[in-house]
Amino acid sequence: MLIYIARRLLWTPVLLVSASLFVFVLGRFGPGDPVEVALGQHYTPEAASRLREQRGLDDPVAVQYGRYVWNAAHGDFGTSYRYQGKSVSSLLGPKLWVSAQLFLAGMLITVSIGVPIGFYAALRQGSWIDPAVVGAALVLYALPIFIVAPVLIMVFALWLGFVPTSGWGGFFDKRMILPAVTIGVPGIAVFARLMRASTLDVLGQDFIRTARAKGLRERVVNTRHTARNALIPILTILGFSLAGMLGGALITELIYGIPGVGSFSLDAIFQRDYPVITALALIGATSLVVANLVVDILYAAVDPRIRYS
Amino acid sequence: MKPGKTAFVAIFIGAALALAMACSGGGNKGGEAATAKSGSTATATQRPASGVQIAPELKQTPAPSTGTKQGGVLKRLWADPPTLDPHQVSDTTSASIIVEIFSGLVRLNSDLKIEPDLAESYTASPDGKTYEFKLRSGLKFSNGSPLTAADFKWSFQRAAHPRTESSVAELYLGDILGIQEIIDGKGTVTEARGIEVIDERTLRITIDAPKPYFIAKLTYPTAYVLNRQNVESGGNNWTRKPVGTGAFKLEDYRIGERMVLARNEHYWGRKALLDRVEYNLAGGVAMAMYENNEIDITGVGLLDIDRIRDPREPLNKQLVNVPPGFSVSYIGFNTTKPPFDDANFRKALNLAVDKELISTEVYGSLVLPAYGVIPPGFPGYSDDIKGLKFNPDLAKEYLRKSKYASATNRPRIVITVPGTGGSPTLDVEVVTDMWEQTLGVKSEIQQVEWATYLQDLNRRRLQAYAGLGWNADYPDPQDFIDILFYSGSDANHGAYANTAVDRIIEKARTEQDTQKRFALYREAEQMIVDDAAWVPMWFDTQGYALIKPWVKGFSFTPLIVPKLKDVWIDK
Amino acid sequence: MTMTATTTDSAPPQSPFRRAVQRLVRKKVAMVALAIIVLLYLAGIFAPLVAPHDYNETNLRRVRQGPSAENWLGTDSLGRDILSRVIWGIQTTVIVTGIGLATGSLLLGVTLGLIAGFRGGFVDTLIMRFGEIVASFPDVLLIILLAATLRPRIVETVRGIEDFTGISGLVSSGVVDYFVVGVALLPLSWFGMMRLVRGQVLFLGKMPFVDAARALGVSTRRILFVHLLPNTLGPIIVSASFGLGAVAGSEIFLSFLGLGVQPPRPSLGAMIADVTGRGAGSVSVLRNHPEQLLAPIVVVWLLIFCWNLLGDALNDAFNPRTR
Repeated sequence: MLIYIARRLLWTPVLLVSASLFVFVLGRFGPGDPVEVALGQHYTPEAASRLREQRGLDDPVAVQYGRYVWNAAHGDFGTSYRYQGKSVSSLLGPKLWVSAQLFLAGMLITVSIGVPIGFYAALRQGSWIDPAVVGAALVLYALPIFIVAPVLIMVFALWLGFVPTSGWGGFFDKRMILPAVTIGVPGIAVFARLMRASTLDVLGQDFIRTARAKGLRERVVNTRHTARNALIPILTILGFSLAGMLGGALITELIYGIPGVGSFSLDAIFQRDYPVITALALIGATSLVVANLVVDILYAAVDPRIRYS
Repeated sequence: MKPGKTAFVAIFIGAALALAMACSGGGNKGGEAATAKSGSTATATQRPASGVQIAPELKQTPAPSTGTKQGGVLKRLWADPPTLDPHQVSDTTSASIIVEIFSGLVRLNSDLKIEPDLAESYTASPDGKTYEFKLRSGLKFSNGSPLTAADFKWSFQRAAHPRTESSVAELYLGDILGIQEIIDGKGTVTEARGIEVIDERTLRITIDAPKPYFIAKLTYPTAYVLNRQNVESGGNNWTRKPVGTGAFKLEDYRIGERMVLARNEHYWGRKALLDRVEYNLAGGVAMAMYENNEIDITGVGLLDIDRIRDPREPLNKQLVNVPPGFSVSYIGFNTTKPPFDDANFRKALNLAVDKELISTEVYGSLVLPAYGVIPPGFPGYSDDIKGLKFNPDLAKEYLRKSKYASATNRPRIVITVPGTGGSPTLDVEVVTDMWEQTLGVKSEIQQVEWATYLQDLNRRRLQAYAGLGWNADYPDPQDFIDILFYSGSDANHGAYANTAVDRIIEKARTEQDTQKRFALYREAEQMIVDDAAWVPMWFDTQGYALIKPWVKGFSFTPLIVPKLKDVWIDK
Repeated sequence: MTMTATTTDSAPPQSPFRRAVQRLVRKKVAMVALAIIVLLYLAGIFAPLVAPHDYNETNLRRVRQGPSAENWLGTDSLGRDILSRVIWGIQTTVIVTGIGLATGSLLLGVTLGLIAGFRGGFVDTLIMRFGEIVASFPDVLLIILLAATLRPRIVETVRGIEDFTGISGLVSSGVVDYFVVGVALLPLSWFGMMRLVRGQVLFLGKMPFVDAARALGVSTRRILFVHLLPNTLGPIIVSASFGLGAVAGSEIFLSFLGLGVQPPRPSLGAMIADVTGRGAGSVSVLRNHPEQLLAPIVVVWLLIFCWNLLGDALNDAFNPRTR
């Protein structure tokens, strides 16, 4: 197990170098120039070359990349082009933390509703409840965020006045409710469906029949045997759905005015703020690696049949 | 000053801001006058794009009467300012905040007259090359430390230093002897000989040639004074705790989240009435936030204006007019690229566009059709300019006369628009359809994100381009005609070149008599219109905003000036 | 469950594929979903015939009007017929889904999955590691980065080619735009499908019939495409069906980012993103002109919903062990 983790971790630097190199190359050879964006209407060829020199952008790309890697290895991810003089880590840190909390809240809603209804639907397979529950979840899944968010704002903020329309107050603030619902609800269908399939799989297996045959009560069979085993495959998707939420979070953060990383990264790309973009790529790659690793470890912990060698 | 560099110009700010706002999702932030004529061109959408402009406060806030109450908190939705460093700023979002925190030697009043600010008085030498400023006595920074003439000298030199990375230092300070050397000095030059500290309260500035507009340049944030100790000890992050001389000081700033300004107790004049100004920087739906009392002021967009104009609507009483800024938006043609190298073809395209109809039906009359270059009310504006008004028959005639009368020898037409998302192209979509309906001329719209658009524009690679606006900030027609149409100008993106126009512009540069000068520009403008160098689209017109009844003393200005110190909250 | 087992045992030999189709046909919900999809797709494909108006026919005297006999779903802010724009928008969706599916998951994903699963060893490791590298890059970032930076240049190049060869309509039809986006999506979409197919192949590879084929000297290519591929078809179809729904949804997202088809060509995503002014104006639209938003949203919703219902049904049909 330890060896497995170590091997996975050894792989991480390769991922990080690939990700940063990709952004770097695209940034230096793709269209659009951060210096010209910064100068805007004041562009003159002389001013542009002055600024390029000041920022070290006139060095050969290999030198620039080498310098970047060296600095990054020492914890310095450079300074933003757009927010002049602000270090990338000071800019991204708080935003990542905000987005992480939003993700977590959304995930809680997704999992805490999706998994139980999927399980329930599976137990009631064959009755009308099963398709009704899955169908209802799908109805919500298919609704675009563009309609969900404004409807929620209109109903709960403007008409009923339960919550403010937008803003951020941390995890336990009531302003968290609408955004969390907005990004959490679509995933319910995904988890419900997975849980249902997984439960059906487990129900068909011999040990459940054995448990029933032993005369265990239905509730015990359901909770202690079925649910526990059905949950295992669900874990694998957790890591991936975190990544999938990023897109939804972008729009959600825009509409609800949440100071997260979503809209910030969009602006960074459009304005060619390469230090920020590169850092985002690195963070994204790292978090995916870590998330998958955690899932793997959890997997092994829950399912004694799995041993990594 | 090189020709074409006189601009205090914010040409791109309109579109840039529109993008920034679109990206940060705040419908109506970035400026109070952003009446969010959603779907309009960039400029029309983003009115206060007047940037760091020399400009009058349109109406001076009435002096607080006896009923004035001190205090309160003003809440606003704002976009995250890219910088709080006055020497770097070149965008409106930042400038609006910077002018409240920092200040300089002089400022402008409502009559376009320059008024002393930190300087008590100033005198110009008879040859117009030397200015002597007398500072007010007992001036202090917001941290209580004293301010002397030496602080100004240091600030000017710091603004020009390459490490400051200011894109505007050359424009605003470059006339001062020795400043250009600092800018070009790669960090080795730090002293400007044109700035002398005579004593603690006296500063002498020498420029390279007599320039009547030089003193106006000093009203820009680039010429604001900074606290040396604050800047040097703060390193790259000094604007986190900036020390200024404005009516407010920065109390709290979390990027992308919120910013709080508080009263500066060391301000030289009457202290600000407000206790605090709170800017929500995270975005949100402005109209909903306004109705929910989360913000005090919002622009009213095209989608909401019909509802708010209805007298039965409770919000109707809070509706106020926003004065127009001086801007023109247009569809530009590269006159060196076929088919736009043919003036008859350009004229045909101009005549085929029914702007009145677009204005009333698509934009709810929130924009004014433009037939010339200089906006109404601007110095040098003339209603004698004969524009190319909608005339389908004449348009067809010009098309027949042009080299590109038949579709077979007409090159493909691609209009490039900046930005992401569909909305900014609304008027371009109608225009292309009108061209096709009236003339049978087909064209394609190509949307390109901002950075690429800029790069292509700077290199004159675009055949036709829309979504740009030009915002005046220099109260002189030279700002439009010379900058945009002189053949050698950097901002002449369509590569328009007419030797006759060039000659008139050159003549106007040296003409000392204002009336004659303006007449020359009018002559040039008429020639440019006759040449159909552009399709001028919209001038800015009166917009709408909502303001809560408890906000007192707030005035909408077309340009960015410090004004929050006279505001108070009555609730 | 036991019933199924006996019937299959006693019935005449039948391909698993046909059995699955039969199971599917018996599901009413799935058939209704399929009918709606087919209907919408046909409307989209034959948009020039179906749409009552031209999608770009502006009429500034009839701006933002409600439904009428002339414009069944009303008109948009340029007086264009919303119904016609929705129908043309569906055509855009059809093109997008086609390109997205064909390039990314089917071509690359299936082929690489077959190879990796069958060959194993070094080839497998190489493909898997490469996939991990690409997948570790945040997808939203990658799409925006590639599409935003490279698209204008690619479109320009294609325009040049069009002008040179005399072919027309490639750019204006939006195919090029979506091809770029499809390429941007490529590094991401293939990996999921690849892993799915690889897993299937690994599982099937241990089956006796593959050993038998190998013993008979059947060529590798033949084993892959004649013996293994048909047996992995079930999961591929299921996954593709969910994927088609997802693509319909992500089209909105791309348009929201300004990376969709170029205006004035309509797409459902652009119709939604345009009127809502990139999300921020959506509350205003909903209160003042809901009809502008409802038609495209209902269609997108129907597409995603029906593709998923169908996917569920296909899943049940192809994987009878979950029954």
